[in-house]
Amino acid sequence: MNKNINLQVPVGVRDVLPMETTAIRQLEQKLTDFFYSWGYQELMTPTFEFAETFKAGSPAGSDDVLFKFIDRQGRVLALRPEMTAPIARLVVTSLRREPLPLRLCYRANVFRYEEPHAGRQREFHQAGVELIGADGVAADVEIIALAVETLIKVGLKDFRLGLGQVAVTKGVLNDLELTPEDLAKIKEALAKKDLVLLERLSEEYKLTGIRRKQLELLSRLHGGAEALREAQECFSGTGAAKPLADLEQVWQALVAYGLEQWLFIDLGILRDFDYYTGVVFEGYVSGLGAPVCGGGRYNDLLAQFGYPCPATGFAVGLERLLLALKGSLSKKQDKGYLVAGSDVAAVLKKAQEIRQSESVVVFDNQSKTREEAAGQAEKRGLNLIWLE
Amino acid sequence: MARIDKWLIVDLVKTKVVVYVITLALPKGRMGKEALQLLERAGLPVEGVETEARQLSFSFPEEGVRYLICRPTDVPTYAEYGAADLGIVGKDTLVEAETDVFELVDLGFGYCRFVVAAPRQRWEEVNQSLETLMANSYRVATKFPRVATAFFREKGVSIEVVKLHGNIELAPQVGLADLIVDIVSTGRTLKENDLVEVASIFSSTARLIANRVSFRFNYQRLLPVVEAIKQAVGQWGENDVTNS
Repeated sequence: MNKNINLQVPVGVRDVLPMETTAIRQLEQKLTDFFYSWGYQELMTPTFEFAETFKAGSPAGSDDVLFKFIDRQGRVLALRPEMTAPIARLVVTSLRREPLPLRLCYRANVFRYEEPHAGRQREFHQAGVELIGADGVAADVEIIALAVETLIKVGLKDFRLGLGQVAVTKGVLNDLELTPEDLAKIKEALAKKDLVLLERLSEEYKLTGIRRKQLELLSRLHGGAEALREAQECFSGTGAAKPLADLEQVWQALVAYGLEQWLFIDLGILRDFDYYTGVVFEGYVSGLGAPVCGGGRYNDLLAQFGYPCPATGFAVGLERLLLALKGSLSKKQDKGYLVAGSDVAAVLKKAQEIRQSESVVVFDNQSKTREEAAGQAEKRGLNLIWLE
Repeated sequence: MARIDKWLIVDLVKTKVVVYVITLALPKGRMGKEALQLLERAGLPVEGVETEARQLSFSFPEEGVRYLICRPTDVPTYAEYGAADLGIVGKDTLVEAETDVFELVDLGFGYCRFVVAAPRQRWEEVNQSLETLMANSYRVATKFPRVATAFFREKGVSIEVVKLHGNIELAPQVGLADLIVDIVSTGRTLKENDLVEVASIFSSTARLIANRVSFRFNYQRLLPVVEAIKQAVGQWGENDVTNS
């Protein structure tokens, strides 16, 4: 019986061939170097952990998204769906005595049991930063400025970062005086930007006058300083006024710093509504159907690990970023060398010599004649060095 | 609105600025025709656009608009991936597709309802009790497995869902299924096949959808188009036939 081994890989994962691997690794390196230049230190966490660690984090860690398995003691483990929850756990356990704020960054492959769609597989790569132990406008400004400059740094030309503030939405919803079930429906309509459903719910719950207007504004407000002014008028004296004022300060600082051309305000950006607590943002690239990066303030997460501590951060999706950079990355690397000859030791020595100058040098261990070696060099686009 | 845009674009073309062309995915068939009538009322260029022709895309470079003619079930996909900025599609298709798109406007036309239907004789045998009927049903045939699964799960009924691609009414006649979940507009097809509606799941009309990145990234460009379409539909809520 000579049964063939299955040559396929499961749905949602894939092999990455040399050219793309190089591109991903270079991109990762560029991002990490840039984060480092802002004082963010890289760390690594395990690829799998106890499933409950992830459940404390964003909805990416909810049961139906995790790849779970059971160890030999019967404990439930899971592949990491994102890096923020593991980093929060690590900070609480190992970095608790370090002075705050902590600036941490990572690059990692993450796993989500979702239908593969819109440029995302079940395994994909992220690079990101977490700023832990810093609350307030200046910390939000740092993270957003870093996000914008990161995208500029990697060579994106046509992108925008949309800023939202989930605390505004939470304030407005609190003032509605609806039952939790009804609120959940409104939240869902807002989060999915299902304006038809939102309209219908407003009718059903008999929301009129200023409340109706506020809700409608949440779903529609988009723009710059003028949009913020419109919101301020509408939300003055409500629970949404303070978070809105915070957002305006963030906006003003970023504009004064010179990033206005990359930014807009959109109160409809909610991301994972229940997880985030303040200013949130998403990066959009023209022609790419899904955000290339996203993040925001999540002040409640570390408390779940027993260490109440404000935090903010963002992650970049590398596959999506690569799609957005398509073309501009394919710089051909310098031509290398193929060293061949009959004396193996001499060929190795020569190759080592040329390698000193940082060139790629391939040792030809097959060719018997100069003609053969020339053919090999030609096929690989290398310069031939033949030793008689 | 379209006229103002046109001048703006002509101006920009002269100065060699690349103008963003809005891509709108339209469904083939009857809904596509109604969509075109709506777009015309909204002041968008539609001259020569056919939803049943061989030509699958129509461009109006001066107005900065392009249409893609798609299978209705593919419209959400085009919008989700950003191949189209906007799309027009029935809520029925949208629910079944489970795509991540923005739903902007209820366009009012293309009304239909999702219903559960059973052979008339069986319905009478169970004295028109939905509970009894569901408890004694083992298979449901449908073109919309997600809608059907969600409905029966909510009712706490475990039933096997059989996906078919058309002529669902045939399934109960030959014992392939005990029930069907399908969309009806007038109910005539059910009647002709001796089926009766036993439960209504929800009703559906055409919707204007948008890619979630494009809608934010090209907001200034898309908003006038969305507003014009909304105006053409009438005030919000007026065409709200799905509330029933």
